[in-house]
Amino acid sequence: MIMRLQKRSVTLCIGLALLSLAQMSHAADDQRARAIVDRIARLFISKSSISEVEMQITNENWQRNISMRIWSLGEEKILVRIISPPEDAGTAILKVGSNSWYYLPKTKRTIKTPASMTMTSWMGSHFTLDDLVKQSYLTNDYVITTAFEGTRNGVPVYEYTLTPKPTTVVVWGKILLQVRQADQMPTWQRYYDEDGKPVRELTFSEYITVKRRLIPTRLVMRPLNKPGEQTVILYKNVNFDVPISNETFLLSNLQR
Amino acid sequence: MSGVLLLVKIGWRNLWRNPRGTLLTALALGLGLALLLVSLGLLDGLHEKMVSDGVRFGTGHVVIQAKGYQDTGSQDLLLPAQVVSTTAEFLHTEPMKRLVRGVSPRLLASGLLSSAANAAGVGIIGIMPKEERAVSLIPSRIVEGKNLTDDEQSGVVIGAELARKLEVKVGSKVVLMTQAVQQPDREATDPGEGGMQSTLLRVSGIFRTGVQAVDAHVVHLLLPVAQTLLGVPGRVTQIAVLLEREGDSLMVARDLRKQLAGVAVEVLPWRESMPRLVQIFRLDQAFNYVMNGVVLAMVGLGILNTILMRVLERRYEFGLCKALGLRPLQLAVMIIGESLALTTISLALGLALGSIVHYYIATFGLDLHWLFKGGAPSAFVFDPIIYSRLSLSRIVSSVSIVFLTTTVISFYPAFKAARTELPDALKVF
Amino acid sequence: MSGRLLQLAWRNLWRNPRRTLIAMSAIGFGYVMLLFVACLMAGLRQQMIETGTGLVLSDIQVHAPAYYPNRPMHQTLGGQKGTNVTTLVAAITADPRVYAASPRVYGYGLASAGDQSAGVEILGVDPHQEQKITVLQTRIVKGSYLTEGMPKGIVVGDKFVTTNGVGVGSEIILLTQAADGSMGNDLYTIVGIFHTGLDTVDGSLVLMSLSSLQELLRLPPVRIHEIGIKLHDVTEATTAAAALGVQLSKILPVRVRAWPDLVPELADYVQFNRSVTFILFFIFFLLAIIGIVNTMLMAVIERTRELGMLMAVGMRPVQVVGLILAEAAGLAGASLVLGGAIGVPVLWYLQVHGLDLGSAIDEFSLAGVVVGRHWYGRQDFFAYSQAALGLAVTALASALYPALRAARFRPTEALRKI
Repeated sequence: MIMRLQKRSVTLCIGLALLSLAQMSHAADDQRARAIVDRIARLFISKSSISEVEMQITNENWQRNISMRIWSLGEEKILVRIISPPEDAGTAILKVGSNSWYYLPKTKRTIKTPASMTMTSWMGSHFTLDDLVKQSYLTNDYVITTAFEGTRNGVPVYEYTLTPKPTTVVVWGKILLQVRQADQMPTWQRYYDEDGKPVRELTFSEYITVKRRLIPTRLVMRPLNKPGEQTVILYKNVNFDVPISNETFLLSNLQR
Repeated sequence: MSGVLLLVKIGWRNLWRNPRGTLLTALALGLGLALLLVSLGLLDGLHEKMVSDGVRFGTGHVVIQAKGYQDTGSQDLLLPAQVVSTTAEFLHTEPMKRLVRGVSPRLLASGLLSSAANAAGVGIIGIMPKEERAVSLIPSRIVEGKNLTDDEQSGVVIGAELARKLEVKVGSKVVLMTQAVQQPDREATDPGEGGMQSTLLRVSGIFRTGVQAVDAHVVHLLLPVAQTLLGVPGRVTQIAVLLEREGDSLMVARDLRKQLAGVAVEVLPWRESMPRLVQIFRLDQAFNYVMNGVVLAMVGLGILNTILMRVLERRYEFGLCKALGLRPLQLAVMIIGESLALTTISLALGLALGSIVHYYIATFGLDLHWLFKGGAPSAFVFDPIIYSRLSLSRIVSSVSIVFLTTTVISFYPAFKAARTELPDALKVF
Repeated sequence: MSGRLLQLAWRNLWRNPRRTLIAMSAIGFGYVMLLFVACLMAGLRQQMIETGTGLVLSDIQVHAPAYYPNRPMHQTLGGQKGTNVTTLVAAITADPRVYAASPRVYGYGLASAGDQSAGVEILGVDPHQEQKITVLQTRIVKGSYLTEGMPKGIVVGDKFVTTNGVGVGSEIILLTQAADGSMGNDLYTIVGIFHTGLDTVDGSLVLMSLSSLQELLRLPPVRIHEIGIKLHDVTEATTAAAALGVQLSKILPVRVRAWPDLVPELADYVQFNRSVTFILFFIFFLLAIIGIVNTMLMAVIERTRELGMLMAVGMRPVQVVGLILAEAAGLAGASLVLGGAIGVPVLWYLQVHGLDLGSAIDEFSLAGVVVGRHWYGRQDFFAYSQAALGLAVTALASALYPALRAARFRPTEALRKI
């Protein structure tokens, strides 16, 4: 089944996790579950956004903190400027549709990068650029069932099982999602392969209200087959539906 | 005149006075010829196989591509839609049909293959399973699962190295992502269109060729699926043609070029499309020549030995003939007549024996598995089964050479014997 | 076997010198043919190996144990601390089999020129040392090889150049992930273009100076990925690699690999080449059997009377068999000596001058010619002795039937023959 990228207004999103939650709109089984998951998916959708993000990467070879500013407009246009650390400060990444460019301050050059670069680990982290800068994968179908409803560690939660339908274009066998009953905020999301082995886990915390939306601002992605490695994303500053001009995303402006 | 005829008749009967000796000699000579034929057949078959296997890992003996593809390898350069059908038609008619072993249209692109555990850049080849099997060696190298079939829309066949890296097995889900092809005639209506496309696939089979670059990189899917993924229905990147004999490459390429004149294509014989193979085969060809020479020399020596031996043994007998009145020239003619008769018998024997063995090896092949330590040879060499190939010209030249050699060699002792002085010839020991 | 019998056998051979000489010449020349073939085949193997390993690989590679084949950047020799490269190289070159050794660093990244970018494999080498272990510098078709004077110079393949529309003097940006996680990038200039004929190499290998690559990757000078080694005699690769492995393990953990491990398909070809030599030997032995049986049988039949007489005066059948076999052995021995004598100058010529193939192979010269027009031979004493042994065995085996025939002569009948 070929999946087409559809036009939808979208904004900066946090992880593939929440994106795939948007797919739940056609879920069949559990009506209430579907409604909740649907709502979670729409948490980060907006027409435009500007945010300041800090990414803390820990892997077996090094540890780094990267701060950046991210602009997004519609579904197609994204601009990232790296603020720190000094080696990468000034680097800018522009993505318009399926084309992307890097501006490298050290050599003062802009290079065009192959589209596949946005689909693999970004800057050594456990997210892809696409994860970081949301693209919506709509019209994918998952079947949602409630696996657990009760209290965990004193907190009342729901736990949902999301199973991709046979034609859904994802590599996962299933995704488990835990949601707080009180405010319907996601707490963690676990991805499993088809053999039922958990491959990675995304946890959410530090919830803040922005423009009357409650959103998690701390996300941690851990690959479960590489203990000790993780990437932490902190949303220092998020702003939705702010006016951004198209000129921000012009290649000529990249070299500022 | 009748004198000569009589001498020849006597010569003939001489042969049969010592049936065992004659037959032994004829057998010796005949075996020499048979061995020559078989060796040449094997050497030619070996060379043919090396070329064939080499080209089967690439683009076949002849390849048809969009003009400029050989230089740039750009995945946007596709064959105009009509070419596939025109080519297929042309190659299925006489006389082409007999020369062609397989015709495989393919769509090539690069993309990203992801599994739950990992992702890797891959070379996508969209194929038609039955056609591809006739041309490429990959379908015969499946180690797990099975090859693609026409009804498996979501099947993908990957290499063992790739399977290991992605931590997948037969039946696993994978997602293939690629950039749709930029069509020069289509306008980019919006940046989203013609962008990245993905599709869900399941691993149908895993192959191992032994070549790292192939096992870690190449993925096969059904041609229609690839065409839809890349947004180019009906188009292909190349048509690979495999022939029965490497020697026909240039001719077939030329004929195809004529057939497709006016279309923006390049029709390349393998020496142009895969120049690195040429180096290897130049060496192999040189080797072939030298080995032919060596075998010829060896057989020639055998003939020399046999004939000389035979003639020398009969000095007594020749001396007797002369003592009984035969003139030297008549003796010479008689001896030559004998030789010719003997040669003919030998050649017939040799030809028969050689043909039988050649035919057997040509049909069933000679399995050389045991030559490789560890059993399984890597892709560079091949399935070690050689099929003997003998062209008519080879047979004719071999027979002629043996015939000439034998005849010429018999001249010397014939004349020598004719001139032997009587007393010497009649010495018993 | 009594000495007398052997003496008799030898003298028997020379009682009919012409026949013996003819047989000897045939077998002797045949042996020369085998030597010729073995020598050429050995030369062919040598050429294939040199082509396969000489351009980029080198004969032996030394890595940290976890480095090959995936080549993760951080698995440098000596781990994170690295190692004293000079000491390590010195330890390697101390082995007399080693001709030279040179350090290397590998990286992967994006090479960009204009609005084109392509994934490349980057190899950092010591411009001076590297030329001792590989011959890529002989494949430069435009511009020049790396020089110490241009640290930011790079050398790329001709396929890379055509695909990306660049040339000598073009500016290339290399972007890669550095060892500390940052985005290593810098500007480089193409100083030379090579052509190897190997698509992957010509299309995606970028050669640059070792120190420049370490700088790009933010690796300190003590961290390298590999040491390439060239031997005086590449046929010793496997044994040398094993010895070096033991030797170097005393300094730091290593895994030393000879070229058959690195390019198994080439090793397979070499094995195949050996096997084909063997097949050719076999063909010759077949021919030899035919010839020798013929000769010996005729000889035996001709000497019916003589043998009958010998048996009449008391020679036992077993001794007759022994006699014939001894004659065959003598014939074989003499032929080998003759063949060997003629062979020596032939083999010498093949090694020094080689065969000129110019006219024999077809004229197609599209590919960058890896194989010169000369096919050089190399000495393969093992094959030579195998051939000699095989010949001796063949001679004895062929003489068996005639010998047994002779043994069954009945003295009374034999004596009556003329």
